[in-house]
Amino acid sequence: MPIHGIYTVSRDDAEARNWLGFLRRHGYPALTDLAIERVFWLEGDLDVRALLPLLANPLYQTAAERSMLDPARGPIVEIAYRPAVTDPETPSILTGARALGQSALEFARLSRRYRFDGLTESQANEAAARFLYNPVVQRIREPSEAWSTLRPSGQPDPVRSVTLAGLDDQALSALSRERSWYAPLAQMKVIQAHEATRGRSHTDAEIEILVQSWSDHCYHTTWKSLGLLKQLSQATAAIHHPLVVSAFKDNAGGMEFYDGWVVTIKGETHNFPTAIAPFGGISTKHGGVIRDTLGFGKGAHPIGGTTIMGTQDPRLADEAVPAGALHPRLIVSESIRGTAYYVNPMGIPMLHPVYRIHPGYAKCLALGHSIGLIPREYALKETSQPADFALLIGGETGRDGIHGATASSASMSGETLAKESAAVQIGHPITERKFATAIPVLRDAGLIRSITDLGAGGISSAAGEMGAETGVELDLDTIPLKDHSLTAWEIMLSESQERMLLAIAPENLSKAEAVLDRFEVAHTVIGRFSDRKRFEARWHGQTVTDLEMDFLWGACPIEPTDVAKPARRLEPLNLPPLETSEDWSRAIHGVLGHYHCCDQSPAGVRFDSTVQGRTVIGPYGGRNHRMPTNIAVSAPLRGKPYGVVTTVAFNPFYGDIDPAAMARLMVIEAITKAVVAGVDYREMVLCDNFYTPRLRPDVAWDLKAMVTAIAELSVQIGVPFISGKDSSSGTFESAGRRIDVPPTLAVAVMGRVPDVKRVVTKEFKRAGNRLVIIGRSEGDALGGSVYADLHGQRGDCLFDGVDASAARELWDALLACHRAGHYVSGSAIAEGGVLLRLFEACVGSGLGARVDISVLGKAQESTADSCDGAELLFGEFIGSATVEIESGCVLDDLAVSYREIGEVVAQPEIEVKVGAKEIFREPVTNLESSWTNTFREVVG
Amino acid sequence: MSEAVTALLYAPGTNCHEETAAALERAGGQSELVLLRDLLSGASVLSRYQAAIIPGGFSYGDHLGAGRVFATVLVAQLRDQLTEFLDAGKPLLGVCNGFQVLSEAGILPGRAPGGHGMALLDNESAHFEDRMVRLLVSDERSPWTAGLSGRVLQMPSAHGEGRPLVGAAAPGCGGRVTFRYVDAGGGPTAEYPHNPSGAPGGVAGVSDSSGLVLGLMPHPERASMSVHESQDGFEIFRNLVRWLDHA
Repeated sequence: MPIHGIYTVSRDDAEARNWLGFLRRHGYPALTDLAIERVFWLEGDLDVRALLPLLANPLYQTAAERSMLDPARGPIVEIAYRPAVTDPETPSILTGARALGQSALEFARLSRRYRFDGLTESQANEAAARFLYNPVVQRIREPSEAWSTLRPSGQPDPVRSVTLAGLDDQALSALSRERSWYAPLAQMKVIQAHEATRGRSHTDAEIEILVQSWSDHCYHTTWKSLGLLKQLSQATAAIHHPLVVSAFKDNAGGMEFYDGWVVTIKGETHNFPTAIAPFGGISTKHGGVIRDTLGFGKGAHPIGGTTIMGTQDPRLADEAVPAGALHPRLIVSESIRGTAYYVNPMGIPMLHPVYRIHPGYAKCLALGHSIGLIPREYALKETSQPADFALLIGGETGRDGIHGATASSASMSGETLAKESAAVQIGHPITERKFATAIPVLRDAGLIRSITDLGAGGISSAAGEMGAETGVELDLDTIPLKDHSLTAWEIMLSESQERMLLAIAPENLSKAEAVLDRFEVAHTVIGRFSDRKRFEARWHGQTVTDLEMDFLWGACPIEPTDVAKPARRLEPLNLPPLETSEDWSRAIHGVLGHYHCCDQSPAGVRFDSTVQGRTVIGPYGGRNHRMPTNIAVSAPLRGKPYGVVTTVAFNPFYGDIDPAAMARLMVIEAITKAVVAGVDYREMVLCDNFYTPRLRPDVAWDLKAMVTAIAELSVQIGVPFISGKDSSSGTFESAGRRIDVPPTLAVAVMGRVPDVKRVVTKEFKRAGNRLVIIGRSEGDALGGSVYADLHGQRGDCLFDGVDASAARELWDALLACHRAGHYVSGSAIAEGGVLLRLFEACVGSGLGARVDISVLGKAQESTADSCDGAELLFGEFIGSATVEIESGCVLDDLAVSYREIGEVVAQPEIEVKVGAKEIFREPVTNLESSWTNTFREVVG
Repeated sequence: MSEAVTALLYAPGTNCHEETAAALERAGGQSELVLLRDLLSGASVLSRYQAAIIPGGFSYGDHLGAGRVFATVLVAQLRDQLTEFLDAGKPLLGVCNGFQVLSEAGILPGRAPGGHGMALLDNESAHFEDRMVRLLVSDERSPWTAGLSGRVLQMPSAHGEGRPLVGAAAPGCGGRVTFRYVDAGGGPTAEYPHNPSGAPGGVAGVSDSSGLVLGLMPHPERASMSVHESQDGFEIFRNLVRWLDHA
């Protein structure tokens, strides 16, 4: 069939202008102009002019049958999808063409041409490769190249058998590495022995399935070896919390909400793909964790999410970036683009966008949560039954993401960056959005027996887990492919996004298919569940796999892990005294402009936080909506006042000093944030996400200490963990140097409140009101603080203000105050200390604050010229809160310690005194410039 | 409850239909979710409804241009139904992606399906942005804005392509600016961030000459419920229900 090309350009191209600025900032200052042209390649016997209304709007776009980019002005690079791959836009082009009566259009592709004025050809190719395409699925199309057909084409390899017989340890390890299995020797030996027992060699697919299923990412071998998974779930079981519906057994955890509904939470990291390809990595991070919600019970609906990034400092000099790692500035800006690209079209409000830095995040932290909503009656899955259909829905299966599960379980180096780039892909949110719309309809019609998402390990993992109790038999010839060169094991292992697997009872199949058709969700029966307890699959007449489920799920060797106490070299803080008002000013501006305290809204506003119409409090609030709220409140049931409240705590600095103490503080901080807002800690659940270096005895020690700490604490305070995830691969190897992530734990709280109107926000309400710290505000609280980090120090201890019973007393006191209406604004103290709370409350209200720090702790005995004053203003008294009380309010009956520190003033300025002596006084607008500039410089 | 039923016309990728239904219900209106596909298959027909709203989202992934594929389907396959609906003097609202659909389809500003009177281009920042905006109602001859002239309404705006470009032929076709972004002082503004898209003249919403067809970028349905920070958007849905009750 003839192939036509239609070229279009925009006469007002903000995207081109934006890329121009981006590329100039990211290594191509010589670029003087950038032009973008799209080329629609259209195959079929058709009148292409009839398609023009679809391809170009004449008001601002020009269409022609040949290129309009002048090659004399700069090198042109054309980027197209690989011949074996279907373009994401193809279905939309075909839909539009059919609407225009052009059914003769058989296939379509879209490529993009970029002209880089001022760059050499090699610079242009390099810039394109770095930022503009993903080589796994796309390529640069040579100008001389002619299409023969647009349809995906390619020749797959046959199923091959792989024998491990006779290989010694060294050969087994080498093979494991060479094939990107990254399986420990013990696993290779078990597979070798299995081959000998059953008397035939494995197929390539069988070994791939085994090592994928046994990867740390999927099987949590590290955690199992240390007994940690059990520890957390046993702690939760011991609490017997009446609101827990589902903990640690499904794709997410579930908590009873109101009126027969359940809310769910899940957090998932996607560190490896984000480190090597941030845009694709972050978008698929969101896609994956959202599917965990869709795959909870019989299908929950996502109602909110987070994006939490930890990177090296984006302001790092180029030469300081470890060889083989991407520049953190690039990781941050590309991750922002990726979050917007994926989550906005999904129509899910972004509740907590959080960006943090630590020099150890050479392999970055990329965490996202998904919050979901589901009727109680559908919150628990059934087991798939023999003869149930295995129904695959969503996108086609491609080459993308193969070996994601195993590669992400390995440590990372410059070498893996190149070798495992195939583990990364670009997500297509429209595909996921379609089934997110259809799943509640299927669910409410009673058509779903069971449902799970396809993430790490793809069909292998989903079908293997779903059929673990019964057996499953797949016919891989039925699976729709976007890449026709895939062989069987690649089809099994592909981590192509936007797919889910459903178990459907035979009598419901046609009804389910009708619902899916209506919402334009592709679906294919790819097999049936059996009663043979085997994982069977055939393809092109060949046996792909015939494994016993008992072996797959029972034979993974869990090796003992050596544990040894780490030798931490910690030094006590040695901070310079603050003597002059200039010193104080520099310190205060420094804290407010610190990356962890600064205004991160240039990222946050790029994400939709109000879609679904459920948002009561989003990421920013107060006057002008510039104040970070640090608490999100959603009213999921329309017309009802019930609220689901979420907060997160994540502080990478604390982990350097004492991982176990850090872990406790994160739990206390996250809960206190919600309690100050008026959420009862007895109506909350927790979600944990760990990120630790590649396992070594000292790392294992820290991991155990952290898990033990939070498991014990959760029992003592009665707030259960219901979901969590761990990644034990936070090590980057570069030029002989090992860079470990700090022991990291992010804690998310999900709570419920009967009336969202009762939630107390952070911004000041009225001049003349008094400012009070409730809880402890004395003791060493600068260890690991933002203030210490400004001086390049960590310190040797963390604030140890609260044990479990003190925390409960504090929360009870806060809740009693809240019930009595004693305070009108408040926030929990965290990074940036009391200062940041005061400043943010000023930003959110247009009011000011006057505080006397001599009434605080040690300042009572000391003078302003010592460092103690800094401790009071910048100390991170986790577990305590600053609140604003009305002038006549009496707090005498408060059961915990509290201190009055000052008052709200009408003048928008912050004034700090020690007794009668003023040591600092500046307008809030002055401080705002330090606060806003930091992040703005990063994202440009 | 009003007798009249409003169609909430949606397609794959539309993601604001449920909250739009909730806002309309609170205003005493009745609505039905109508998939574009159901109009194509004949399972439903526009003439059943007394009003229609195209809610926001990313219809068909916004492939080929925001609202383009949805508009192409409307114009090429549903033109007769659409024309009949418009000729019957029924109100039609496009919010965000719905406004992009109405523009791409030529229905705004000139009620000319297949025409090209205006387009909504990428924001000047080339980014999607969600922020609370203030909108001055600058024309109340539309049933949607009756009684609101001169009022400043606060509601969230959330889009990546909201910068209107009006064609040379458009001024004569009678379209009117219904909403403008205003700054803290209440004056129309082209300045960021009060005007997140960089829309010239602060234009945030446009109607046809009759005022029956309205498109606006910000989201009234996200400022309509008692739990919302602002309930100003509710006025627009209440106006629709009042108009339908008196039509």
